[in-house]
Amino acid sequence: MTIDQLANFVLGQQKVSAEAYYWWCTGLMIIIHVGFLMYEVGATRMKNAVSSGVKNLLAFAFMIPTFWLFGWWIYWAFPGGFVPIFDAGLDIPGYGLPWNEFSGPFIGDNETGVFWAAFTLFACTTASIFSGAVIERIRISAFVFLATILGSVVWILGAAWGWHAGGWLVTNWGFHDVAAAGCVHTIAGLFAFGVLLNLGPRIGKYNDDGTANEIEGHSLVLSFVGLLTLIVGFFGFLGGCLIWPGVAVYDTASMVGVEGWTNIYGAPMTLSSFVFNTLMGLAGGMIGAFWYSKGNPFWMMSGGLAGIFICAGGLDIWYPGFAFILGVVAGIVIIPANNWLHNTFKIDDCVGAVSIHGVCGILGMLAVGLFASGYPAVGDIPASNLMGQIVGIITMALVGFVPGYVISLVMKMAGWLRVPDSVQEAGIDKAELGLRAYSD
Amino acid sequence: MNTWPGPENSWEGVGAYFTWAGSSGMLVLISLVCAAICLGVIIAAAKHESETSDNIK
Repeated sequence: MTIDQLANFVLGQQKVSAEAYYWWCTGLMIIIHVGFLMYEVGATRMKNAVSSGVKNLLAFAFMIPTFWLFGWWIYWAFPGGFVPIFDAGLDIPGYGLPWNEFSGPFIGDNETGVFWAAFTLFACTTASIFSGAVIERIRISAFVFLATILGSVVWILGAAWGWHAGGWLVTNWGFHDVAAAGCVHTIAGLFAFGVLLNLGPRIGKYNDDGTANEIEGHSLVLSFVGLLTLIVGFFGFLGGCLIWPGVAVYDTASMVGVEGWTNIYGAPMTLSSFVFNTLMGLAGGMIGAFWYSKGNPFWMMSGGLAGIFICAGGLDIWYPGFAFILGVVAGIVIIPANNWLHNTFKIDDCVGAVSIHGVCGILGMLAVGLFASGYPAVGDIPASNLMGQIVGIITMALVGFVPGYVISLVMKMAGWLRVPDSVQEAGIDKAELGLRAYSD
Repeated sequence: MNTWPGPENSWEGVGAYFTWAGSSGMLVLISLVCAAICLGVIIAAAKHESETSDNIK
């Protein structure tokens, strides 16, 4: 074999290895949605169990074509702000548009399809985060529309700004958020909060004197098995946040990006760093919530997720012991944060999504600024710093909350948001779908 | 049918090889049909919800 043949062989292996890696990350991410479906169906009363599951399935189904139609293009066209740059994606004019030649089978392009698929599943995750907060009283069609806006427009705009090596939050401010605490968790959590303010609580949630009633789901077991399943799927999500060696070469002199993994901003990292901190954050969150809730399994498993999300911003750089401590903080914080949101705003966040994803996403970005400032990036990207993280937090919070609130307000005024009280009382499954989750 | 660049006889020099790859008008049309299907199903679902809620009343 000549040197040229060997080089071609190595290049071919690199391309198909990367392709296979993201293929399997995408498959694993579908398990997130199995988990979300079980979690939410379990948290639903029996009379609405089917419609909750249908809502999850539809979010998944609608996200795929809409993310292909415009979500993928938004990521590549908007790194500079609100004005699109049509050749920003890989210097290819129109890259990401559905009629672009790279938006389909293309010999020599092993990457676009699998990256699009991974990002589509990230989008589905944002929709599922939102989904749990609004169960049992949102119209299915309204939910699908809002989930599409969140997954195929809103979060991906935040990703273009702060989860993209060319995003303005990154290049101007040194924003560091490797595993999407901001663009996925904060945006989805705050979008849900905006919608909840207009949607209102389920019938019977609040009494006339403002006190709240606990509305229990029909299967706690289904919920916490779902939560554990969700964590399995998040290994696909987090794996998909890395850049496979050779996919992007950021610096030809140092060969960064060729000889090992990089994060999404092009800085060197390892898959091992992610697994150290994911598991330590997960354990910390479960233990913290177990202690604070005095053994409530729903909060314990939610705490595990919150522990991962609070570590997500700096998942590549935390000392694992500190990731554990951050996880404990997340597990403790989510419960009083959820209570405060309910008591103050009289919302009905059925699964604590605003607290678990929104609050812990914000804390995760803040933690990077407080405890991990000064980490260098590649090229002209500034080092991580507190001010950059604060700008990122404000931006992500607004990108999530404002569209969620404004669009759902318009839908509420048009009478296209909330299931009528009579249907809520009869149960959405029987009234709209004509079936029941469980036979006699 | 692979129309452009078209691996009809050989894969030499092939880039995009999906159906109608050479016809941007057709690709735009199909994309618009996809978008219309998504939007149409949401509208149909909203109508069904309104009808069923009227029946419950």
